[in-house]
Amino acid sequence: MDLFLAQLPQQLVNGLTLGAVYALIALGYSMVYGILQLLNFAHGDVYMVGAFIGFGVMTALLPQTGPLLPAWLIILVMMVTAMAGCGVLGIGIEWFAYRPLRNAPRLAALISALGVSFFIQNAVQLTLGAKFRAYRTDALIPATIGWDVGTARLSAVRLLAMVVAVLLMVALTYLVRRTRLGRAMRAVALDREAAAMTGVDADRVIVATFFIGSALAGAAGVLTGIVFTRIWHFMGFTAGLKGFTAAVVGGIGSIPGAMLGGFLLGLTEAFATGYISSTYKDVIAFIVLVIVLLVRPGGILGAIQPQKV
Amino acid sequence: MEKFGRDEWVAQAEARRKARGALGRVTAPWERLPPWARFALFVVLAAAVPQLIHNDYVIRVGGNFLLYGALALGLNVVVGYAGLLDLGYVAFYGMGGYTYALLSSPQFGIHWPTWASILFVVVLSLGLGLLLGSPSLRLVGDYLAIVTLGFGQIFVQLATSFDRLQVPWSDQPLNLTGGPNGVVNIDPIRLFDFAFKTVAHNYYLLLATLALIVIGLHHLNQSRVGRAWRAMREDPLAAEAMGMPTKRLKLLAFALGAAIAGLFGALFGAWQGNVFPSNFGVTLLILLYAMVILGGLGSLAGVLIGAFSLSVVPEMLREVELSRYLFYLGGLLVLVTRLRPWRHLAAALVGTIGGGYLLKLGVTNFWPTLVTAPQPSVSPLGRMVQNWLIIPPNATLIGNLVFVFVVLLLLFVARAQNALARVVALIPTLYLLAFVWETRLALEPSITRLLLLGVLLIVLMVYRPQGILGQRRVEIV
Repeated sequence: MDLFLAQLPQQLVNGLTLGAVYALIALGYSMVYGILQLLNFAHGDVYMVGAFIGFGVMTALLPQTGPLLPAWLIILVMMVTAMAGCGVLGIGIEWFAYRPLRNAPRLAALISALGVSFFIQNAVQLTLGAKFRAYRTDALIPATIGWDVGTARLSAVRLLAMVVAVLLMVALTYLVRRTRLGRAMRAVALDREAAAMTGVDADRVIVATFFIGSALAGAAGVLTGIVFTRIWHFMGFTAGLKGFTAAVVGGIGSIPGAMLGGFLLGLTEAFATGYISSTYKDVIAFIVLVIVLLVRPGGILGAIQPQKV
Repeated sequence: MEKFGRDEWVAQAEARRKARGALGRVTAPWERLPPWARFALFVVLAAAVPQLIHNDYVIRVGGNFLLYGALALGLNVVVGYAGLLDLGYVAFYGMGGYTYALLSSPQFGIHWPTWASILFVVVLSLGLGLLLGSPSLRLVGDYLAIVTLGFGQIFVQLATSFDRLQVPWSDQPLNLTGGPNGVVNIDPIRLFDFAFKTVAHNYYLLLATLALIVIGLHHLNQSRVGRAWRAMREDPLAAEAMGMPTKRLKLLAFALGAAIAGLFGALFGAWQGNVFPSNFGVTLLILLYAMVILGGLGSLAGVLIGAFSLSVVPEMLREVELSRYLFYLGGLLVLVTRLRPWRHLAAALVGTIGGGYLLKLGVTNFWPTLVTAPQPSVSPLGRMVQNWLIIPPNATLIGNLVFVFVVLLLLFVARAQNALARVVALIPTLYLLAFVWETRLALEPSITRLLLLGVLLIVLMVYRPQGILGQRRVEIV
């Protein structure tokens, strides 16, 4: 029990960092699902591309001779480039792989999404190779910077990741709750045809949703690179699965649900790693998913809509 | 039987859509054959292959086709008949393989008789299918997909990590699955004192099992249950309202698919003599889905055609010269069928090749360092391509950049509304596509295979979601 308590704060820190990343990925899934009822399998790969864009920018601005810009500016440029790049990628995917299937059966769009995911993964493998790359976070924020909170160690890198993620989530919440675009998004999610009849340009809203969701995934990719440093072309698959699990646990289509689900999943995994074994963290996360779905089939914050004919 | 209860107009949709003209004359005798005769022809042809070609590699590829075909048929029961998106299908296949392996290998020194282990594998897969299916079916639509996908991932993870399993009754960790090293030296299938040891033996074993499965599934599809599945797939709500036990039907499909996968997992393990976690990954899952969808969801012949085209054709990509022919001829075929009128086709081809000649002539004269000497190529096609294609010295890097660019160009061409713009954009696209093929894609056949698979899935969904032999839904609105 003492050991349990002694480890608790550190596992909390780990879980919250991991959860922040999951939550960002889950948001993209949830938003797209809310509007199109489409399971966007390529989302995890967009996240992977984001990590690689961040890596490219870092390599360009941080040669071995020393940084070209102040560290905070480099991180900012990495984030912005990755978010913009992934956003554009997301729009492209929507335009070419999902839009022609807008009125097709659900299965068709899903298979198309699998195809996109496969294509992106292998395109990255073809052009960039199959090896692991490592972010040189240490050259930006030395690992020695950090604070000891009780028994836990909160490094500056982890704090930064959490703060950035939370800021992005706050911005997204503001966007969805308070702006015209957000209102349009909520309207389209509720009923696309009715929204179109009242003058909402549904296609534009869908494009905006894809842009925002993919940009968040890109940010998550960069944060993953900064905190966990190792990236490779296949990272998107597992992360996408986790992101979707988080979205489902929270209640798919619900934005606060995605955040809640992400943090919940991150904490579950951190505790599973800390107290049981890192080998079984995915198994335990999966069991949590099944249990949540059995108790609340619509997720924690979601509700199953009764089907009307 | 098929047409029972359908609207007259819908029932005749088939006849209306039949190929007419020259194609119709070729396909008509085939169409007139009863299904059993067509299938018998297939079995006879397949059985003749090892007799005619005494090449282990060819027979192995053939055996792979039969294996994939059978797996795709099982997946077709779940996805094509019942319309359930099961992304954990490969896990049942792996479970079958591992279970058989543990019951008939030196891993624990257990050597059950074949019939007992096969029976056990099938029953276990059925049970697992029911077990995984029953909670999943409470879930709506895509939730099923994610739970099953998670299940598939977990299977691979457990198979990889169960080589150091802590067990309560012993201090030593138990080596259950051999981890990444897998289970090796699995016994071959042994029936009536005959061991299926060689590649050809296993080929016939797979063929016989596949034939039984096809016959069984054909009859099942025509049965009450088959009709109920189709009704449920088309409209689950209406089916339920008509009093069909949808939950039970779904579970049945799920468990049947799992049993087929498990059975062939065992046959796979026995054939290869070893099983590794990497045999049962996502790549295989996507490949199987591509097979089922390419052939046409719900069509038995279609699924076999899909399995054939996605298991045998990619083998040909391994050979550079052969893959070159496939690529250029395939590309030409796509252009001929998709590009109308023929003036545009001619313009695009002349523009690409003629422009390529001129470009190469100019570059060779003014910047000779940019062009490498033509490589000795064995095939006439390779020499022909080198006449108009510039291959610079550091081709890998440029090839990578051009790859990204050519994807963008292709997307533009695919979505261009203006016919003129499309043809004009097509010329550099084709040129650069050939460039990327020669510098990158042909050199990385395994990646190229998967890339093409992804593209195939997208293109197929956009242009022909029902697959090659699938039936388009005919609806009266």
